[in-house]
Amino acid sequence: MNIRRVFAVARRIAEGFRRDERSLGLLFAAPLLVTLLLGWVIRDSSLGDVNLVVAGAPDQLVTALKDAAADSSDKATVSVSTLADQAAVERAIRDGDADVGLVVEGSVPTIQIAVVTEGTDPANEAGQFGVVQALLAKSVGALVPVPGFSLPEVRRETVYLSPDANQLDVLAPVFLGIFAYFFVFILTGISFLRERVGGTLERLLATPVTRGEIVLGYSLGFGFFATLQVLVLTLFVFGNLDIPAIGPIPAFTIGLNVQTVGSPAVAFLVAVLLAIGAVNLGIFLSTFARTELQILQFIPIVIVPQILLGGVLWPVERLPDVLRTIGQVLPVTYAVDALREVMLKGADLTSTVVQTDLGVLVGVAVVFVGLAAGTIKREVA
Amino acid sequence: MTGGFAAVEAKELRKAFGPIRAVDGIDLSLSPGRIYGLLGPNGSGKTTLIRLLTGLAKATSGSAEILGTPMPNRSALARIGYMPQSEAIYPELSVAENIRFFATLQDTRDRDSIDRTLELVELSDRKSSPALTLSGGMRRRLSLACSLVHDPPVLFLDEPTVGVDPALRVQFWSHFRRLADAGTTIFVASHVMDEADRCDDLLFIRSGKLIARGTGGELRSQAGTDNLETAFLKFAGLDAAGQPIEPTGSVQ
Repeated sequence: MNIRRVFAVARRIAEGFRRDERSLGLLFAAPLLVTLLLGWVIRDSSLGDVNLVVAGAPDQLVTALKDAAADSSDKATVSVSTLADQAAVERAIRDGDADVGLVVEGSVPTIQIAVVTEGTDPANEAGQFGVVQALLAKSVGALVPVPGFSLPEVRRETVYLSPDANQLDVLAPVFLGIFAYFFVFILTGISFLRERVGGTLERLLATPVTRGEIVLGYSLGFGFFATLQVLVLTLFVFGNLDIPAIGPIPAFTIGLNVQTVGSPAVAFLVAVLLAIGAVNLGIFLSTFARTELQILQFIPIVIVPQILLGGVLWPVERLPDVLRTIGQVLPVTYAVDALREVMLKGADLTSTVVQTDLGVLVGVAVVFVGLAAGTIKREVA
Repeated sequence: MTGGFAAVEAKELRKAFGPIRAVDGIDLSLSPGRIYGLLGPNGSGKTTLIRLLTGLAKATSGSAEILGTPMPNRSALARIGYMPQSEAIYPELSVAENIRFFATLQDTRDRDSIDRTLELVELSDRKSSPALTLSGGMRRRLSLACSLVHDPPVLFLDEPTVGVDPALRVQFWSHFRRLADAGTTIFVASHVMDEADRCDDLLFIRSGKLIARGTGGELRSQAGTDNLETAFLKFAGLDAAGQPIEPTGSVQ
């Protein structure tokens, strides 16, 4: 192994990048943009105004609901009005005059309450249902004919992150790894395909450079950019830099300030290991492509299933048996698990879970290095 | 042969791809300091022969030696220069970065060699330009420079003048002659017969076999013609229209 030649290959990649603004943009601006949009959508989207119509409820409940709605500090603004019966409630929802209906039947102590929604938008209606439930929790005490009675307040507590953590806090740490994996795979795949098609690989192989030096140089070159990418994204995801108003520009904050209890350094290590696997997967798969478009065709086959089955969006344990087994052999699964263990649960390198995940990622990287080197054919080395 | 041993030697070299015999029992021995022209039509086995001699492909049988070292051998590659048929340069790198990259892979530590090579291919004033901004002829010159930067004693050039304008072609051949005069063995594969007279020796290849060898003059007189193209057809057993005729017997 000649270190000079390894660095020459790595430097060649860096020099190429320097003049390739689009690839640099893809590597740095694209993940920031996607994470920014995701953060924005998750954090600041609201249910909007919720029109709640109530039928069959005693007056004291309606009053209590109106008071609770007025006090509500939730994202949604709730307006409460009354209708005659369930048929009127359903008609109002059909006509678009109401979002949620509350139909009360019977009286204390055998009272029954039905919440009626449109039934066409499960995610949004679940949010509305939650809002109505919270209002009910505050107001059903009014039905109990005991003066001064109120229901006990239920307080939510959590072991790791704070109770007000949202989906962004859970997704953002994982994105550190996924973006590095995705972009590094694409860039390496295309870059190595160009080596094969453009004849430079043939010229490389007519020099004393070994296959190992080529693969290591590539890992180092792209690993360097993957490292920078993860670093920038880590700062953006966990950072919170307040910029004061300057002239006509209003004050703003850089960074998503995502909650974390773990060490970004360990998360960083996980993401970089995953990226090194991606470099060599890209080299390996470039053998099976003839054009750059064909490299992109690997995205739905190689990348998307890993995102769906690797625990990014839902836990691997909840997948059906067959898919869970597939999920358990995907490298992304172990990176996602390690990133969540570290960032959400504060695990460090002494954790056996993290050690296992890192071990698997190292193993995967080694296998991909072997596969990549195996596709670089020369009879000499 | 002028030296103690051949710069390039092949014995019974064969390469088969399934039923196709791309190189079919080639013997050759190339002396140092001479320019050899490997002439034959497309698909005759020129590139495969170069790939076998440089160790980029493994022979089905037979042997090849470069400067006395049996191929394939990785360390022997440091003494070989190879200019592939395709440009084989990095378009996003500058001229100097391309040359420096291949110089480093060849373990060339002589910093002046990059400047010398730039001067040789007359690209000194474009050394900082990205290769993709160069004209086609300049890119061929850069490709040649990448093969020469480590001053190899043996140089394999696969169709080096394809797509090169006549004026540049003259420059290329004068470079090759200067290198040969300095002791470099140059093996040029080409299908352009009008370049053949610039070579010291010619090897005619067809269907993976060497069908004739000698100087241009020798081959012409053997074939009884003053036209090398006609001579090639005669050695190949073809008439002027490229149709098979009765074989003229061995020409070796």
